[in-house]
Amino acid sequence: MNTELDITARAVSEYYSETRATWCAGCGDYGIWTAVRYALAALKLHPWQVCLCYDVGCHGNGSDKIEGYRFHGLHGRVIPFAAGAKLANMKIPVIAFGGDGGTFSEGIGHLVHGLRSNYPITFVLHNNANYGLTTGQATPLTWQDQPMNTSPNGIPERTLASMDLVFSLEPTYVARGFSGDITLMTRILTAAIEHRGFAYIEMLQACPTYNHFATHDYLLERYFDANAAGHDPSDLERAKGLATQTQERIACGILYQREDVPHFYERLVSRAGVETTCVEEVRKYDISEYCKELQ
Amino acid sequence: MGAANGRRFAEHGIQAMKRTSVKIVGASGQGINSIGEILAKGLKRSGYCVFGYREYPSLIKGGHANYQLDIANEHIGSSETKVDVLIALNHHGLEVNLEEVKQEGLVLHMTAGWQFSAPHQELINRRRLRVIYFPVDDVLLRLHANPVLSNVLLTACLWSILEQDIGLLKSIVAETFSAKKGLLELNMRCIDEGYSALDPREGKVRISLPSPRKDFSGHLLITGSQAMGLGAIHAGVRLYAGYPMTPSSPLLSFVASLENKTRMVVKQAEDEITAAQIVSGAMYMGTRALTATAGVGFDLMSETISLNAMIENPTVFVLAQRPGPATGLPTWTSQGGLLQAVNTSHGEFTHCVLSVSNSQDAFDLMPVAFNLAEQYQITVIVLTEKQIAEALYTQAPYDGKSAEIHRGKLVTDPDKLKELKPADRYDPTATDGISSRWLPGSQAATYCAQGDEHDATGAVEESWPNAKSQTEKRMRKFQHLKAALPEPTVSVASQKEQTAPWMQDDKEIELLAVGWGSTQDVMLDVMSSEELREVRIAYLHYTYLWPLHTEKLQKLAKRSRRIVIVEQNNRGQLGVLIRMESGVDITDRILKYDGRPFFYDELLAFLRQRLVDDVDGHALATANSGQTSSSPQRAQELS
Repeated sequence: MNTELDITARAVSEYYSETRATWCAGCGDYGIWTAVRYALAALKLHPWQVCLCYDVGCHGNGSDKIEGYRFHGLHGRVIPFAAGAKLANMKIPVIAFGGDGGTFSEGIGHLVHGLRSNYPITFVLHNNANYGLTTGQATPLTWQDQPMNTSPNGIPERTLASMDLVFSLEPTYVARGFSGDITLMTRILTAAIEHRGFAYIEMLQACPTYNHFATHDYLLERYFDANAAGHDPSDLERAKGLATQTQERIACGILYQREDVPHFYERLVSRAGVETTCVEEVRKYDISEYCKELQ
Repeated sequence: MGAANGRRFAEHGIQAMKRTSVKIVGASGQGINSIGEILAKGLKRSGYCVFGYREYPSLIKGGHANYQLDIANEHIGSSETKVDVLIALNHHGLEVNLEEVKQEGLVLHMTAGWQFSAPHQELINRRRLRVIYFPVDDVLLRLHANPVLSNVLLTACLWSILEQDIGLLKSIVAETFSAKKGLLELNMRCIDEGYSALDPREGKVRISLPSPRKDFSGHLLITGSQAMGLGAIHAGVRLYAGYPMTPSSPLLSFVASLENKTRMVVKQAEDEITAAQIVSGAMYMGTRALTATAGVGFDLMSETISLNAMIENPTVFVLAQRPGPATGLPTWTSQGGLLQAVNTSHGEFTHCVLSVSNSQDAFDLMPVAFNLAEQYQITVIVLTEKQIAEALYTQAPYDGKSAEIHRGKLVTDPDKLKELKPADRYDPTATDGISSRWLPGSQAATYCAQGDEHDATGAVEESWPNAKSQTEKRMRKFQHLKAALPEPTVSVASQKEQTAPWMQDDKEIELLAVGWGSTQDVMLDVMSSEELREVRIAYLHYTYLWPLHTEKLQKLAKRSRRIVIVEQNNRGQLGVLIRMESGVDITDRILKYDGRPFFYDELLAFLRQRLVDDVDGHALATANSGQTSSSPQRAQELS
């Protein structure tokens, strides 16, 4: 589905960075990086109005190749950092990026609890099915038996069924993009940033250097825009099927979305009716009322 | 021990200061804490200073636990190993704790037909202990009362023995049950029964307390954790994230219990790493956020501390110490985390370690910690101990006015924000190493809080000149921070007398003790005992442990006959730091690493032994160098 995007060149250029890109030629990160800038521009957000949090990996090396208030942290830990940032200032859109290694190995607990908590943030999974920056080791999303660096005989472990895991945690937004279709990625990113709760986006991306199985051409042949093909994102059962069954064709687009579930912050009784953000509330507080109960 | 000077210390005995102690023992879950808390509240309101100390195993029901209250009419902050009253809720307590009862002490129990063993009977006779059996079960049956009310019966019985006002006890119990009328009436009947249980015809049983002091009645009864929680709220903390772990959990529970009043965001995280990251994200965004954990959880947080060093993100972490390694002694106390805090995390960077010592500075230091974190854009680690976190203090009302909020080089002015360039964020030429900081959402140039080595804008930059200048920028803060941190404080004689004429006259210090954390309050109690009140003894207390000041220590060392380090760990960790930073090697060490705090009489005995040694046989004492004696001459040579 190639719709016209409401993006002026000027708005996108606000995100232009002088720092030179260091990804391999043909890397999927270029496409995702471009789509992120398009989406932010489409939402008429200036760089100073957004917070972009990067995990460690090739995608994380993009942290200095875009404008915006950015953070580049530790392997696997980006979701709780982004959640903390968001809870402190609900007025700022927070987008977290992570790779398939950090997200499904070291940081899998954070993903589970991020989905379960329904934090009002966007999470973008850069899925190239390997640890690129450490030179091509297998991740939990690498195909079983695929020979990789450190596993010349292929990994003995089963591939982690990531979408089954995600759907088991009752997500409120699940989308899939492909690094070769910037328009589609821009659409799902824009909707994700506007989504009420935790938006999970899987970006299937090419890794020309280390991923010789799910290549750009492999993905290009199989991906399709499920929404253009008539998929209704409110249909949970159909969404699960499209998300998990990727052998023949790979469904992309907004696979599942519901806006009727309150997010984490909305469920905090202590914050009900509070209009200000935690950032705005830093000052000295009188504690004499609390002392009365300690007499 | 020479005869003349031995008398000088011995004739006062260890009961010089009028202290009374009550220990309630029984199984975990039997209601030990509720008796202790009602008693503490009642005595405090009557005008006494109480200090509550809890010992319990890491389980919920069963196991042997106790709650001890030490009571005085002047300020105390320590417990004794021996007690005046033992209340045993089960026979196990009679067996285990009988030997802790002082001469002519009192034992109150509820075990029908209990026969003491022959050695215990002999002990009872020798110490002339009074053993009172209170048939609690019979009374409960007669009143058709739930066994849980045995606590009220025993409390009321003790209340009569302490000759306190029954009306006061009733009003305290009524506060708890005011909403439940039936239960309230039954409680009042139990108080009447308990208060009149002892038949005066069988001899008056009483424990005389000294005359009360009115001002204590207006004090707070507060644990170190509650004090720290109030301090955090006072300091403007708006988000708290934590993972349950003794002895940091009471802080999390307390902050959570107030969340609907404070309107704070409180998050029980899925692990300590998450808690550390949430708090770091929140601080990066610009609020004040806090987390706390014990040593095991702190290990998990340490990678995040290193990250915060690189992105120069102000953060505060509370490390509540208990003995390790591993899960160690989960519910016991320790000062074993000092070197862990000072040496935390990989990489070289500037951070600050400070330690609370009681309910006063647990409150006062929270705004200080956040100010230091924001002013220097560093991590501040605040140490506490199980002993402080869970002890019950009689605390003078807090000063709600003096604390200030300092946010350092945080830019918020719209005009100044417009002038900022990305390269201002990590500007390596900042003279004190501290560059401008501004928050996401500010209408200004943006930057990257970059975990890789980075240039002034936060862009990744691996060149050698940049690595060198950014490292130097971060490390330059160290000397500026050190210069801003206060020296350790000196106390002599008692808490009210921070100094004495002899101290100002530059006279020789007979004994200089050096310590930190909960050691302070025990030390101050010991120094204000009649026995040591006239001795030229000084205590140097470290609140700010990293960067470490040793100038004052070295100065005092030169005029001290003997220096001793007092710590609750095996290596003498503060001593290790002092030696590392100054070369001064304090070889005389009073070290305790069994999970128990220093007790009043115990520490007094340790000090008395040293003073006697010095007076009687200084040559002998110094000859036995090593663990038990100091060598100030050597300290001076090195310094």
